[in-house]
Amino acid sequence: MNQSSKDNSDSSTNPAILVDNLTVSYGPVPALLDVSFKVPAGQLIGIIGPNGSGKSTLIKAILGFLKPDFGTVYLFGEPAAHAKGRVAYVPQRGSVDWDFPVSVQEVVLMGRYGHVPWWKNLGQQEWQLADDALEMVRMSHYRKRQIGELSGGQQQRVFMARAMAQGADILLLDEPFAGVDAATERAILDVLEQTKQAGKTLLVVHHDLTTAAEYFDALILLKQRLYAFGSPEAVLHRRLLSEVYEGSLRIFSDLSQTTKNS
Amino acid sequence: MQDLLDAFIEPLTGIHFQKALIGAALSAIACGVVGSFIVLRRMAFLGDALSHAMLAGVTSGYLFMQMLFGYEAHAPAMIIGALLAGLVTVSAISFVSQVSRIKEDTAIGIMYTGIFALGGILASVFSDRIHIHLFDFVVGMVLAVEDGHLWMIASVCALVLCVVILFFRQLQITTFDPIMAASIGVPVVGVHYLLTACTSLVVVSAVPVVGVVLVVGLLITPAATAYLVTNRLRTMVIAAPVFGVLSVVVGLYLSSWIGNVAPGPMIVVVGTFQFIVLLCIAPRYGLIADWWRRYQLAPQTLLEDILGFIRDDGRQHVPLHEILAQIKSPQHMVRRAVRELQRQHLLKEDRQGIGFTDVGQHEARRLLRSHRLWETYLEHVGTPEAELHLTAHQLEHLHDENTVDYLDDKLGHPLRDPHGSEIPEDFIDLVPGATIKASLLRQGHQATVISVSGGRKDHPIQEETQITAGPRRGEGNLWTFVLPDGSLIELDHESADAVTVRLDNTGAS
Ligand SMILES: Nc1ncnc2c1ncn2[C@@H]1O[C@H](COP(=O)(O)OP(=O)(O)O)[C@@H](O)[C@H]1O
Ligand SMILES: [Mg+2]
Repeated sequence: MNQSSKDNSDSSTNPAILVDNLTVSYGPVPALLDVSFKVPAGQLIGIIGPNGSGKSTLIKAILGFLKPDFGTVYLFGEPAAHAKGRVAYVPQRGSVDWDFPVSVQEVVLMGRYGHVPWWKNLGQQEWQLADDALEMVRMSHYRKRQIGELSGGQQQRVFMARAMAQGADILLLDEPFAGVDAATERAILDVLEQTKQAGKTLLVVHHDLTTAAEYFDALILLKQRLYAFGSPEAVLHRRLLSEVYEGSLRIFSDLSQTTKNS
Repeated sequence: MQDLLDAFIEPLTGIHFQKALIGAALSAIACGVVGSFIVLRRMAFLGDALSHAMLAGVTSGYLFMQMLFGYEAHAPAMIIGALLAGLVTVSAISFVSQVSRIKEDTAIGIMYTGIFALGGILASVFSDRIHIHLFDFVVGMVLAVEDGHLWMIASVCALVLCVVILFFRQLQITTFDPIMAASIGVPVVGVHYLLTACTSLVVVSAVPVVGVVLVVGLLITPAATAYLVTNRLRTMVIAAPVFGVLSVVVGLYLSSWIGNVAPGPMIVVVGTFQFIVLLCIAPRYGLIADWWRRYQLAPQTLLEDILGFIRDDGRQHVPLHEILAQIKSPQHMVRRAVRELQRQHLLKEDRQGIGFTDVGQHEARRLLRSHRLWETYLEHVGTPEAELHLTAHQLEHLHDENTVDYLDDKLGHPLRDPHGSEIPEDFIDLVPGATIKASLLRQGHQATVISVSGGRKDHPIQEETQITAGPRRGEGNLWTFVLPDGSLIELDHESADAVTVRLDNTGAS
């Protein structure tokens, strides 16, 4: 921990995300308590935990949207507050105003806003990058649509495209698989994999424990505190899960065997 | 003809009317532009609060200058007072909602009524010193707009337009996705204060024209009207002022023709009427358009009935006239439904008739599975034989994957429905490579065991063995599997559910 403070110019040795003793609260009870972990660059990481366990809070803290009560988030060795724009964000579906008067293309273009000073107009290049990103998620066809006029999976892909257009090294996604059908889930996963291949680091809030092991390189098990962080086999451990989910998990019985036996 | 023309020209010759028109129109432009963002940010109530608080500010400004310096109705002081009152209200609101569990809308309600009431007390205590009609501030005094006012309104309008043009992207992104905006370094809170400041300015400048109560009508209504007709923010920000100016012009003329009608209220009434008309006739989000779309939309049940009919018919191509004859719905509806299905790429039409596309085939099979499972379910819960088909026909439209999978599991993955027809397998989950429970396997399927439920150590199947599903036994409630060494095991539903497998292939089919 000591040596990182001096020499942070060398981003290749620094972890993509370093969360250091993070505590975040909205009221008297902290939503996150003393959370620390380190994510190397180029990994696809899942965040799991029951409702209200602080998954979205963690994402917002890494984004720099929430100010921690204590602790620091470092992105490639730099404090998150100084790394504006290096993280892209795909919001939880429920938190988006789908009636907002904005087209698919315009949403993706927002990914470029951070690259253009406020007094300048968006150049041809920005439009091109936005179009490329739309092409990548195969949504070019819908670029003129208002965002409410898409299916759940398509909406998800638009925000993925925005994150791509942003050109960020770290992508944070809040429940991208919620409310989409199996085929779309695969399509989104493919985009995630592709993004990972391109060297990006992805942190994904996920609610389905049965697919967690298959999708992610490593998992973060969260319930206010960090219960486990590591390979899916280590995290999806029966005892851990029963502690965190307190028996409220229906698929739990199926799941624990998958992990115990593997 | 000349009379008609005069009716429009004549009011224009009055200097008061001219000033009113210019003042109110400029206010409407500023209000519309700012109002668009207010509407999208759901801050309408804040506009209300600000305008009311202004009354206290105007009174204080008036009294301050009069008591200390002896000025009567000192306009700049009244305006500064109004701005300060707005600032105090906004700060008090955010303070209360941040330090306590009181939500913002409640905090707004508390603070603005409090400050408004304070203004009322000041005005009544010093009523002998105040020589303007404060009531004018409530309904406005459009026709008494003075030059000084006009200049102020024009400056505010210019300022607001500059702010919105310069910071359009920042306003857009902080309204749409504040979290992402913050992450790329847009000062979200700063933009919020900028917008609040603009709102205060706009309200202050417009209050003398249309009054405290009605300024909200100019701020919100045209913007909401614009929201009905467009789904682009840029268009909305342009359309809102247009609607605002339109209601100003129409309102002022109406009040001048009718005579003895306060123009301020007239403007807002016209704006409200304009909103209601557009609510009905707006091309996209209007009620009539919505009704028409719904009328145009063939009911989902009809679409599915047609798919079911073609599927049951079995031929590659079914002539349209047969479909029309067999489906019990008005012909024009059926035609529309068939067109809709073609649009969705489920059906295709050629010279020999109408047939499925690949997607359509898949969809039809899904519906069939749903229908037969529902039928089995109905029999299971004791629905009389005669009602089976019809009720299932209604229920098959509940065919989302979760529902169907639930039925399938509850019924013990039946193979045949009550009429003895085969229930299609769970072909959505049964794709090679998928991880499923062994109970989903049908005869001939090959799979590799991934895991076996923990509580069953004596389970005859071990991990990593490849199994082939054999025919069901008993009343279809015993699963048989052939192991690599040729031996055969028999499992009940629960034991088969306990085995998780990876599907290798679905055999010949
Ligand atoms: N804006 C907020 N104000 C107050 N409490 C909040 C807010 N957002 C979240 N919380 C609380 O913080 C805890 C964690 O929430 P969240 O991070 O959204 O959980 P998750 O995303 O895991 O469901 C919950 O108890 C929730 O009630
Ligand atoms: Mg959440």
